[in-house]
Amino acid sequence: MNGRALLVSSLLATGAAAQSVCPARDVWPDGDWQQQPVTGKDAAIAELESYAFTLEGELYGRKGLHTNGLVVIHRGVLVYERYARGFSADNRHLSWSVAKSVSSALVGIAARDGLLHPDDSVCAHLPEYEGTEACGITVKHAITFATGLDWVEDYENGNYQTSSVLSMLFGVGSGDQLRHILTHRFSARPGQQWRYSTGDAALASAVAKRALEKKYGADPFWPALFDVIGMRDVVVEQDVKGTPLGGSCVYATPREFAKFGYLFLNDGCWNGTRVLPEGWVAASTTPSEAFVDFGTAADQYPSGYSWWLGVPVPERQVPSRWPDVPADTFAAQGHWGQRIIVVPSEDLVVVRVGDDREEPMNTNDLLKRVLEVVR
Amino acid sequence: MKRLLLLVTLALAGCADPDAHPRTFANSDLQLAVGNGARMGCSCMFVMNMSEGYCREWVKASPDVAKLTFDVANKRVEASTFVSWTATAHFVDEKHGCVLR
Repeated sequence: MNGRALLVSSLLATGAAAQSVCPARDVWPDGDWQQQPVTGKDAAIAELESYAFTLEGELYGRKGLHTNGLVVIHRGVLVYERYARGFSADNRHLSWSVAKSVSSALVGIAARDGLLHPDDSVCAHLPEYEGTEACGITVKHAITFATGLDWVEDYENGNYQTSSVLSMLFGVGSGDQLRHILTHRFSARPGQQWRYSTGDAALASAVAKRALEKKYGADPFWPALFDVIGMRDVVVEQDVKGTPLGGSCVYATPREFAKFGYLFLNDGCWNGTRVLPEGWVAASTTPSEAFVDFGTAADQYPSGYSWWLGVPVPERQVPSRWPDVPADTFAAQGHWGQRIIVVPSEDLVVVRVGDDREEPMNTNDLLKRVLEVVR
Repeated sequence: MKRLLLLVTLALAGCADPDAHPRTFANSDLQLAVGNGARMGCSCMFVMNMSEGYCREWVKASPDVAKLTFDVANKRVEASTFVSWTATAHFVDEKHGCVLR
Protein backbone atom coordinates (compact mmCIF):
# COMPACT_ATOMS: atom_id res chain seq x y z
CA MET A 1 0.00 0.00 0.00
CA ASN A 2 1.43 3.41 -0.88
CA GLY A 3 1.83 6.14 1.69
CA ARG A 4 -1.10 8.29 0.62
CA ALA A 5 -3.43 5.29 0.45
CA LEU A 6 -2.33 4.26 3.94
CA LEU A 7 -3.05 7.74 5.26
CA VAL A 8 -6.45 7.77 3.60
CA SER A 9 -7.31 4.33 4.99
CA SER A 10 -6.37 5.52 8.46
CA LEU A 11 -8.58 8.57 8.08
CA LEU A 12 -11.48 6.43 6.97
CA ALA A 13 -11.00 4.02 9.83
CA THR A 14 -11.53 6.83 12.30
CA GLY A 15 -13.58 9.17 10.13
CA ALA A 16 -17.02 7.84 10.98
CA ALA A 17 -16.56 8.78 14.61
CA ALA A 18 -14.57 11.96 14.18
CA GLN A 19 -16.70 14.67 12.57
CA SER A 20 -14.14 17.02 11.11
CA VAL A 21 -14.79 20.68 10.61
CA CYS A 22 -16.14 21.50 7.19
CA PRO A 23 -14.34 24.04 4.99
CA ALA A 24 -15.44 27.61 5.52
CA ARG A 25 -17.76 28.67 2.73
CA ASP A 26 -20.24 31.53 2.53
CA VAL A 27 -21.91 30.74 -0.77
CA TRP A 28 -24.19 27.73 -1.21
CA PRO A 29 -26.78 27.04 -3.88
CA ASP A 30 -29.78 27.30 -1.64
CA GLY A 31 -32.25 26.03 -4.19
CA ASP A 32 -30.64 27.22 -7.40
CA TRP A 33 -27.22 28.70 -8.06
CA GLN A 34 -26.53 32.38 -7.59
CA GLN A 35 -25.65 33.79 -11.00
CA GLN A 36 -23.00 36.36 -11.83
CA PRO A 37 -21.98 36.02 -15.47
CA VAL A 38 -18.32 36.62 -16.12
CA THR A 39 -17.59 39.95 -17.79
CA GLY A 40 -14.68 41.41 -19.71
CA LYS A 41 -13.56 38.06 -21.06
CA ASP A 42 -15.09 38.14 -24.51
CA ALA A 43 -12.04 36.75 -26.28
CA ALA A 44 -11.64 33.87 -23.82
CA ILE A 45 -15.34 33.06 -24.05
CA ALA A 46 -15.19 33.13 -27.83
CA GLU A 47 -12.26 30.72 -27.77
CA LEU A 48 -14.09 28.41 -25.34
CA GLU A 49 -17.23 28.42 -27.42
CA SER A 50 -15.45 27.90 -30.71
CA TYR A 51 -13.98 24.77 -29.16
CA ALA A 52 -16.94 23.39 -27.23
CA PHE A 53 -19.83 24.45 -29.41
CA THR A 54 -18.52 23.26 -32.72
CA LEU A 55 -20.59 23.95 -35.78
CA GLU A 56 -19.31 20.90 -37.58
CA GLY A 57 -21.91 18.58 -38.98
CA GLU A 58 -25.66 18.81 -39.22
CA LEU A 59 -27.80 19.37 -36.15
CA TYR A 60 -28.01 15.64 -35.58
CA GLY A 61 -24.77 14.75 -37.29
CA ARG A 62 -22.21 12.65 -35.52
CA LYS A 63 -19.01 14.48 -36.41
CA GLY A 64 -17.12 16.81 -34.11
CA LEU A 65 -17.86 17.88 -30.56
CA HIS A 66 -21.55 18.15 -29.75
CA THR A 67 -21.88 20.08 -26.50
CA ASN A 68 -25.45 20.08 -25.27
CA GLY A 69 -24.77 22.06 -22.10
CA LEU A 70 -21.85 23.75 -20.33
CA VAL A 71 -22.01 25.18 -16.81
CA VAL A 72 -19.15 26.82 -14.89
CA ILE A 73 -19.29 27.38 -11.14
CA HIS A 74 -16.51 29.63 -9.83
CA ARG A 75 -16.22 30.53 -6.16
CA GLY A 76 -19.67 29.09 -5.56
CA VAL A 77 -21.41 31.19 -8.20
CA LEU A 78 -22.63 30.27 -11.68
CA VAL A 79 -20.48 32.43 -13.94
CA TYR A 80 -21.09 30.83 -17.33
CA GLU A 81 -23.82 28.70 -18.85
CA ARG A 82 -24.79 27.80 -22.37
CA TYR A 83 -26.98 25.15 -23.97
CA ALA A 84 -27.34 23.95 -27.53
CA ARG A 85 -29.04 21.50 -29.88
CA GLY A 86 -32.44 21.84 -28.27
CA PHE A 87 -31.34 21.47 -24.65
CA SER A 88 -32.02 24.04 -21.94
CA ALA A 89 -31.29 24.38 -18.24
CA ASP A 90 -34.42 22.34 -17.56
CA ASN A 91 -33.46 19.22 -19.51
CA ARG A 92 -31.98 16.33 -17.64
CA HIS A 93 -29.06 14.74 -19.48
CA LEU A 94 -27.75 11.20 -19.53
CA SER A 95 -24.66 10.82 -17.35
CA TRP A 96 -23.27 7.60 -18.75
CA SER A 97 -20.28 6.74 -16.52
CA VAL A 98 -20.42 9.94 -14.49
CA ALA A 99 -22.88 7.76 -12.58
CA LYS A 100 -19.97 5.71 -11.25
CA SER A 101 -18.74 8.65 -9.18
CA VAL A 102 -22.25 9.15 -7.82
CA SER A 103 -22.46 5.50 -6.83
CA SER A 104 -19.15 5.61 -4.99
CA ALA A 105 -20.39 8.67 -3.06
CA LEU A 106 -23.51 6.75 -2.04
CA VAL A 107 -21.24 4.02 -0.71
CA GLY A 108 -19.46 6.74 1.27
CA ILE A 109 -22.69 7.95 2.82
CA ALA A 110 -23.55 4.40 3.84
CA ALA A 111 -20.10 4.19 5.44
CA ARG A 112 -20.69 7.49 7.26
CA ASP A 113 -23.90 6.09 8.70
CA GLY A 114 -22.21 2.88 9.81
CA LEU A 115 -24.36 0.85 7.43
CA LEU A 116 -21.38 -0.67 5.70
CA HIS A 117 -17.60 -0.66 5.78
CA PRO A 118 -15.55 -0.50 2.58
CA ASP A 119 -13.87 -3.75 3.60
CA ASP A 120 -17.17 -5.61 3.92
CA SER A 121 -17.78 -8.50 1.56
CA VAL A 122 -20.49 -7.57 -0.91
CA CYS A 123 -22.31 -10.68 0.31
CA ALA A 124 -22.81 -9.00 3.69
CA HIS A 125 -25.26 -6.77 1.84
CA LEU A 126 -26.42 -9.16 -0.89
CA PRO A 127 -27.27 -12.24 1.15
CA GLU A 128 -28.69 -14.09 -1.84
CA TYR A 129 -25.07 -14.49 -3.03
CA GLU A 130 -23.80 -15.85 0.30
CA GLY A 131 -21.64 -18.91 -0.27
CA THR A 132 -20.65 -17.96 -3.81
CA GLU A 133 -17.28 -16.92 -5.16
CA ALA A 134 -18.60 -13.35 -5.25
CA CYS A 135 -18.13 -13.12 -1.50
CA GLY A 136 -14.42 -12.55 -2.03
CA ILE A 137 -15.29 -9.14 -3.45
CA THR A 138 -15.35 -6.24 -1.02
CA VAL A 139 -17.24 -2.98 -1.38
CA LYS A 140 -13.93 -1.20 -1.83
CA HIS A 141 -13.01 -3.54 -4.70
CA ALA A 142 -16.27 -2.54 -6.39
CA ILE A 143 -15.59 1.21 -6.20
CA THR A 144 -11.97 0.87 -7.34
CA PHE A 145 -12.48 -1.40 -10.37
CA ALA A 146 -10.77 -4.23 -8.55
CA THR A 147 -13.37 -7.00 -8.30
CA GLY A 148 -11.27 -9.30 -10.47
CA LEU A 149 -14.30 -10.15 -12.61
CA ASP A 150 -13.61 -10.94 -16.26
CA TRP A 151 -15.71 -8.01 -17.45
CA VAL A 152 -15.54 -6.77 -21.05
CA GLU A 153 -16.26 -3.04 -21.34
CA ASP A 154 -16.91 -2.77 -25.08
CA TYR A 155 -19.34 -0.28 -26.58
CA GLU A 156 -20.76 0.35 -30.01
CA ASN A 157 -17.44 -0.06 -31.76
CA GLY A 158 -16.54 -3.30 -30.01
CA ASN A 159 -17.67 -6.90 -30.22
CA TYR A 160 -21.37 -7.06 -29.40
CA GLN A 161 -21.36 -10.74 -28.46
CA THR A 162 -18.63 -10.46 -25.85
CA SER A 163 -19.52 -7.05 -24.43
CA SER A 164 -20.53 -7.46 -20.80
CA VAL A 165 -21.88 -3.93 -20.61
CA LEU A 166 -24.05 -4.02 -23.73
CA SER A 167 -25.52 -7.30 -22.58
CA MET A 168 -26.27 -5.81 -19.16
CA LEU A 169 -27.92 -2.66 -20.49
CA PHE A 170 -29.72 -3.94 -23.57
CA GLY A 171 -29.48 -7.73 -23.81
CA VAL A 172 -29.84 -10.93 -21.82
CA GLY A 173 -28.33 -9.38 -18.70
CA SER A 174 -30.77 -6.49 -18.52
CA GLY A 175 -33.51 -8.33 -16.60
CA ASP A 176 -31.31 -9.06 -13.58
CA GLN A 177 -28.13 -7.07 -13.89
CA LEU A 178 -26.79 -8.12 -10.51
CA ARG A 179 -26.91 -11.77 -11.53
CA HIS A 180 -25.36 -10.85 -14.87
CA ILE A 181 -22.44 -9.17 -13.10
CA LEU A 182 -21.84 -11.78 -10.45
CA THR A 183 -21.99 -14.75 -12.81
CA HIS A 184 -18.95 -13.48 -14.65
CA ARG A 185 -15.97 -15.65 -13.95
CA PHE A 186 -12.87 -14.19 -12.34
CA SER A 187 -9.83 -13.24 -14.36
CA ALA A 188 -7.92 -12.42 -11.15
CA ARG A 189 -8.48 -12.68 -7.46
CA PRO A 190 -10.40 -9.72 -6.06
CA GLY A 191 -7.99 -6.88 -5.40
CA GLN A 192 -5.43 -8.31 -7.81
CA GLN A 193 -6.64 -6.53 -10.94
CA TRP A 194 -7.55 -3.02 -12.07
CA ARG A 195 -10.06 -3.18 -14.91
CA TYR A 196 -12.50 -0.42 -15.80
CA SER A 197 -15.97 -1.90 -15.41
CA THR A 198 -19.53 -0.65 -15.45
CA GLY A 199 -20.34 -3.92 -13.73
CA ASP A 200 -18.17 -3.05 -10.74
CA ALA A 201 -19.88 0.32 -10.38
CA ALA A 202 -23.34 -1.17 -10.76
CA LEU A 203 -22.44 -3.70 -8.09
CA ALA A 204 -21.36 -0.84 -5.80
CA SER A 205 -24.65 0.97 -6.34
CA ALA A 206 -26.61 -2.20 -5.59
CA VAL A 207 -24.70 -2.64 -2.32
CA ALA A 208 -25.18 1.03 -1.43
CA LYS A 209 -28.91 0.77 -2.03
CA ARG A 210 -29.30 -2.32 0.14
CA ALA A 211 -27.24 -0.77 2.94
CA LEU A 212 -28.97 2.62 2.84
CA GLU A 213 -32.45 1.08 2.76
CA LYS A 214 -31.92 0.01 6.38
CA LYS A 215 -31.94 3.66 7.46
CA TYR A 216 -33.74 5.54 4.72
CA GLY A 217 -36.31 3.00 3.46
CA ALA A 218 -37.27 2.55 -0.17
CA ASP A 219 -35.56 4.85 -2.65
CA PRO A 220 -32.81 5.73 -0.18
CA PHE A 221 -30.59 7.68 -2.58
CA TRP A 222 -32.84 10.73 -2.39
CA PRO A 223 -32.99 11.29 1.38
CA ALA A 224 -29.37 10.17 1.78
CA LEU A 225 -27.85 12.40 -0.91
CA PHE A 226 -29.91 14.02 -3.64
CA ASP A 227 -32.39 15.83 -1.41
CA VAL A 228 -29.58 16.99 0.87
CA ILE A 229 -27.68 18.77 -1.90
CA GLY A 230 -30.70 19.94 -3.89
CA MET A 231 -30.52 17.57 -6.86
CA ARG A 232 -34.30 17.73 -7.05
CA ASP A 233 -34.84 16.24 -10.47
CA VAL A 234 -32.27 13.49 -10.57
CA VAL A 235 -33.28 10.12 -12.05
CA VAL A 236 -31.55 6.82 -11.34
CA GLU A 237 -32.80 4.11 -13.64
CA GLN A 238 -33.00 0.51 -12.55
CA ASP A 239 -33.73 -2.96 -13.88
CA VAL A 240 -37.03 -4.78 -13.40
CA LYS A 241 -35.76 -6.20 -10.11
CA GLY A 242 -35.11 -2.72 -8.72
CA THR A 243 -31.32 -2.84 -8.95
CA PRO A 244 -30.04 0.64 -9.83
CA LEU A 245 -28.11 1.13 -13.07
CA GLY A 246 -25.51 2.93 -11.01
CA GLY A 247 -22.73 2.49 -13.50
CA SER A 248 -24.30 4.44 -16.30
CA CYS A 249 -27.90 5.59 -16.20
CA VAL A 250 -28.22 8.61 -13.93
CA TYR A 251 -29.94 11.67 -15.39
CA ALA A 252 -29.81 15.22 -14.03
CA THR A 253 -29.63 18.78 -15.29
CA PRO A 254 -26.14 20.25 -15.66
CA ARG A 255 -26.84 22.62 -12.75
CA GLU A 256 -27.67 19.61 -10.59
CA PHE A 257 -24.58 17.73 -11.66
CA ALA A 258 -22.66 20.85 -10.66
CA LYS A 259 -24.03 20.50 -7.13
CA PHE A 260 -22.56 17.01 -6.97
CA GLY A 261 -19.21 18.44 -8.06
CA TYR A 262 -19.55 21.21 -5.49
CA LEU A 263 -20.04 18.61 -2.76
CA PHE A 264 -16.66 17.14 -3.67
CA LEU A 265 -15.08 20.59 -4.03
CA ASN A 266 -16.07 21.17 -0.41
CA ASP A 267 -14.55 17.97 0.99
CA GLY A 268 -17.91 16.20 1.12
CA CYS A 269 -19.64 18.94 3.14
CA TRP A 270 -22.82 20.78 2.26
CA ASN A 271 -23.64 24.06 3.93
CA GLY A 272 -21.76 23.14 7.08
CA THR A 273 -22.97 19.55 7.29
CA ARG A 274 -20.65 16.64 6.62
CA VAL A 275 -22.33 14.47 3.96
CA LEU A 276 -19.37 12.24 3.12
CA PRO A 277 -17.16 10.87 5.88
CA GLU A 278 -13.90 12.59 6.64
CA GLY A 279 -11.22 11.31 4.31
CA TRP A 280 -13.69 10.09 1.68
CA VAL A 281 -12.97 12.84 -0.85
CA ALA A 282 -9.23 12.38 -0.27
CA ALA A 283 -9.58 8.64 -0.92
CA SER A 284 -11.76 9.29 -3.94
CA THR A 285 -9.10 11.54 -5.44
CA THR A 286 -6.02 9.49 -4.63
CA PRO A 287 -4.89 6.76 -7.05
CA SER A 288 -6.31 3.57 -5.63
CA GLU A 289 -4.17 0.74 -4.38
CA ALA A 290 -5.50 -1.37 -7.25
CA PHE A 291 -4.48 1.23 -9.83
CA VAL A 292 -1.06 1.78 -8.30
CA ASP A 293 -0.42 -1.95 -8.14
CA PHE A 294 -2.05 -3.07 -11.38
CA GLY A 295 -2.85 -0.05 -13.58
CA THR A 296 -0.86 0.54 -16.71
CA ALA A 297 -0.12 3.44 -18.98
CA ALA A 298 -2.57 1.89 -21.40
CA ASP A 299 -5.38 2.29 -18.89
CA GLN A 300 -7.43 5.42 -19.24
CA TYR A 301 -6.59 7.50 -16.18
CA PRO A 302 -5.53 6.95 -12.61
CA SER A 303 -8.62 6.52 -10.51
CA GLY A 304 -9.54 6.66 -6.86
CA TYR A 305 -13.04 5.85 -5.72
CA SER A 306 -14.43 5.97 -9.27
CA TRP A 307 -13.13 9.47 -9.90
CA TRP A 308 -10.53 10.17 -12.60
CA LEU A 309 -7.38 11.99 -11.61
CA GLY A 310 -4.92 14.33 -13.24
CA VAL A 311 -1.96 13.24 -11.16
CA PRO A 312 0.79 11.15 -12.68
CA VAL A 313 1.49 7.72 -11.20
CA PRO A 314 5.24 7.26 -11.61
CA GLU A 315 5.14 3.75 -10.11
CA ARG A 316 3.19 2.66 -13.21
CA GLN A 317 4.86 5.03 -15.68
CA VAL A 318 1.52 6.79 -16.07
CA PRO A 319 1.92 10.47 -16.99
CA SER A 320 -0.51 13.25 -16.16
CA ARG A 321 -3.39 12.99 -18.58
CA TRP A 322 -4.19 16.69 -18.26
CA PRO A 323 -0.83 18.47 -18.55
CA ASP A 324 -2.17 22.01 -19.04
CA VAL A 325 -4.36 22.27 -15.94
CA PRO A 326 -3.76 22.18 -12.18
CA ALA A 327 -2.53 18.84 -10.86
CA ASP A 328 -5.30 18.66 -8.28
CA THR A 329 -7.99 18.42 -10.99
CA PHE A 330 -10.30 15.43 -10.74
CA ALA A 331 -13.31 14.48 -12.79
CA ALA A 332 -16.31 12.25 -13.21
CA GLN A 333 -16.33 11.20 -16.84
CA GLY A 334 -18.84 9.48 -19.07
CA HIS A 335 -19.25 8.16 -22.60
CA TRP A 336 -19.88 10.68 -25.37
CA GLY A 337 -18.07 13.39 -23.38
CA GLN A 338 -20.06 13.76 -20.17
CA ARG A 339 -17.95 15.55 -17.54
CA ILE A 340 -18.04 16.92 -13.99
CA ILE A 341 -14.64 18.53 -13.49
CA VAL A 342 -13.50 19.78 -10.08
CA VAL A 343 -10.43 21.98 -9.53
CA PRO A 344 -9.98 22.73 -5.81
CA SER A 345 -7.05 25.09 -6.31
CA GLU A 346 -9.19 27.25 -8.60
CA ASP A 347 -12.42 26.91 -6.57
CA LEU A 348 -14.01 25.65 -9.77
CA VAL A 349 -16.60 23.13 -10.96
CA VAL A 350 -17.28 22.60 -14.66
CA VAL A 351 -20.11 20.45 -16.02
CA ARG A 352 -20.25 19.55 -19.65
CA VAL A 353 -22.89 17.30 -21.22
CA GLY A 354 -22.70 16.26 -24.82
CA ASP A 355 -23.13 13.81 -27.59
CA ASP A 356 -19.66 13.18 -29.00
CA ARG A 357 -20.06 10.03 -31.04
CA GLU A 358 -16.83 10.43 -32.97
CA GLU A 359 -14.22 11.37 -30.35
CA PRO A 360 -15.10 12.47 -26.80
CA MET A 361 -14.38 15.90 -25.41
CA ASN A 362 -10.83 16.19 -24.12
CA THR A 363 -10.95 17.26 -20.48
CA ASN A 364 -7.58 19.01 -20.64
CA ASP A 365 -8.51 21.00 -23.75
CA LEU A 366 -11.87 22.06 -22.35
CA LEU A 367 -10.59 22.98 -18.91
CA LYS A 368 -7.64 25.06 -20.06
CA ARG A 369 -10.09 27.21 -22.04
CA VAL A 370 -12.45 27.52 -19.08
CA LEU A 371 -9.55 28.61 -16.90
CA GLU A 372 -8.84 31.45 -19.32
CA VAL A 373 -12.40 32.60 -18.79
CA VAL A 374 -12.43 32.55 -15.00
CA ARG A 375 -8.88 33.59 -14.12
CA MET B 1 -33.29 -10.70 -49.93
CA LYS B 2 -29.84 -9.37 -49.01
CA ARG B 3 -31.37 -7.54 -46.04
CA LEU B 4 -33.10 -10.72 -44.88
CA LEU B 5 -29.84 -12.64 -45.15
CA LEU B 6 -28.09 -9.95 -43.11
CA LEU B 7 -30.74 -10.08 -40.41
CA VAL B 8 -30.67 -13.88 -40.18
CA THR B 9 -26.90 -13.76 -39.91
CA LEU B 10 -27.09 -11.13 -37.17
CA ALA B 11 -29.73 -13.15 -35.32
CA LEU B 12 -27.62 -16.29 -35.40
CA ALA B 13 -24.59 -14.37 -34.21
CA GLY B 14 -26.04 -14.43 -30.74
CA CYS B 15 -25.46 -18.09 -29.96
CA ALA B 16 -23.81 -18.08 -26.56
CA ASP B 17 -20.72 -20.02 -25.60
CA PRO B 18 -20.26 -19.66 -21.83
CA ASP B 19 -16.89 -21.43 -21.95
CA ALA B 20 -15.42 -19.16 -24.57
CA HIS B 21 -12.85 -16.59 -23.59
CA PRO B 22 -13.89 -13.90 -23.31
CA ARG B 23 -17.37 -15.03 -22.35
CA THR B 24 -19.99 -14.68 -25.04
CA PHE B 25 -23.61 -13.81 -24.39
CA ALA B 26 -26.79 -15.11 -25.92
CA ASN B 27 -27.53 -11.80 -27.57
CA SER B 28 -27.95 -11.32 -31.24
CA ASP B 29 -27.12 -7.92 -32.67
CA LEU B 30 -30.84 -7.54 -33.31
CA GLN B 31 -31.71 -8.09 -29.67
CA LEU B 32 -29.17 -5.48 -28.61
CA ALA B 33 -30.45 -3.11 -31.26
CA VAL B 34 -34.04 -3.28 -30.05
CA GLY B 35 -32.98 -3.16 -26.39
CA ASN B 36 -30.93 -0.06 -27.08
CA GLY B 37 -33.71 1.53 -29.10
CA ALA B 38 -36.40 0.95 -26.51
CA ARG B 39 -34.39 1.90 -23.41
CA MET B 40 -32.56 4.88 -24.85
CA GLY B 41 -35.57 6.10 -26.80
CA CYS B 42 -37.78 6.02 -23.73
CA SER B 43 -35.24 7.82 -21.56
CA CYS B 44 -34.50 10.41 -24.24
CA MET B 45 -38.16 11.30 -24.64
CA PHE B 46 -39.54 10.96 -21.11
CA VAL B 47 -36.50 11.61 -18.90
CA MET B 48 -34.51 14.11 -20.97
CA ASN B 49 -37.75 15.50 -22.41
CA MET B 50 -36.40 15.85 -25.91
CA SER B 51 -38.43 15.71 -29.10
CA GLU B 52 -39.29 12.50 -30.93
CA GLY B 53 -37.19 13.60 -33.88
CA TYR B 54 -34.17 14.21 -31.66
CA CYS B 55 -34.64 10.91 -29.88
CA ARG B 56 -34.85 8.90 -33.08
CA GLU B 57 -31.40 10.21 -33.97
CA TRP B 58 -30.08 9.87 -30.40
CA VAL B 59 -30.72 6.10 -30.31
CA LYS B 60 -29.38 5.26 -33.76
CA ALA B 61 -26.93 2.40 -33.51
CA SER B 62 -25.25 -0.01 -35.85
CA PRO B 63 -26.93 -2.04 -37.25
CA ASP B 64 -29.64 0.58 -37.70
CA VAL B 65 -32.45 -1.93 -37.98
CA ALA B 66 -34.72 -1.06 -35.04
CA LYS B 67 -38.09 0.47 -35.87
CA LEU B 68 -39.26 2.69 -33.02
CA THR B 69 -42.82 3.39 -31.96
CA PHE B 70 -43.29 6.20 -29.43
CA ASP B 71 -46.48 5.89 -27.38
CA VAL B 72 -46.56 9.31 -25.77
CA ALA B 73 -49.88 8.81 -23.99
CA ASN B 74 -48.61 5.75 -22.13
CA LYS B 75 -44.98 6.89 -21.96
CA ARG B 76 -43.80 3.74 -23.66
CA VAL B 77 -41.37 3.04 -26.52
CA GLU B 78 -41.32 -0.16 -28.52
CA ALA B 79 -38.44 -1.14 -30.76
CA SER B 80 -38.76 -3.95 -33.24
CA THR B 81 -37.23 -5.49 -36.28
CA PHE B 82 -39.21 -7.13 -39.04
CA VAL B 83 -38.06 -10.51 -37.79
CA SER B 84 -39.01 -11.58 -34.30
CA TRP B 85 -37.10 -9.23 -32.00
CA THR B 86 -39.07 -6.69 -30.00
CA ALA B 87 -38.26 -4.74 -26.84
CA THR B 88 -40.33 -2.31 -24.83
CA ALA B 89 -39.36 0.28 -22.27
CA HIS B 90 -41.77 2.38 -20.29
CA PHE B 91 -41.49 5.38 -18.03
CA VAL B 92 -41.96 4.35 -14.39
CA ASP B 93 -41.81 7.61 -12.43
CA GLU B 94 -39.78 10.77 -11.91
CA LYS B 95 -37.16 9.04 -9.77
CA HIS B 96 -36.59 5.86 -11.77
CA GLY B 97 -37.12 6.96 -15.35
CA CYS B 98 -37.55 4.16 -17.84
CA VAL B 99 -37.25 0.44 -17.38
CA LEU B 100 -36.58 -2.08 -20.15
CA ARG B 101 -38.76 -5.16 -20.31
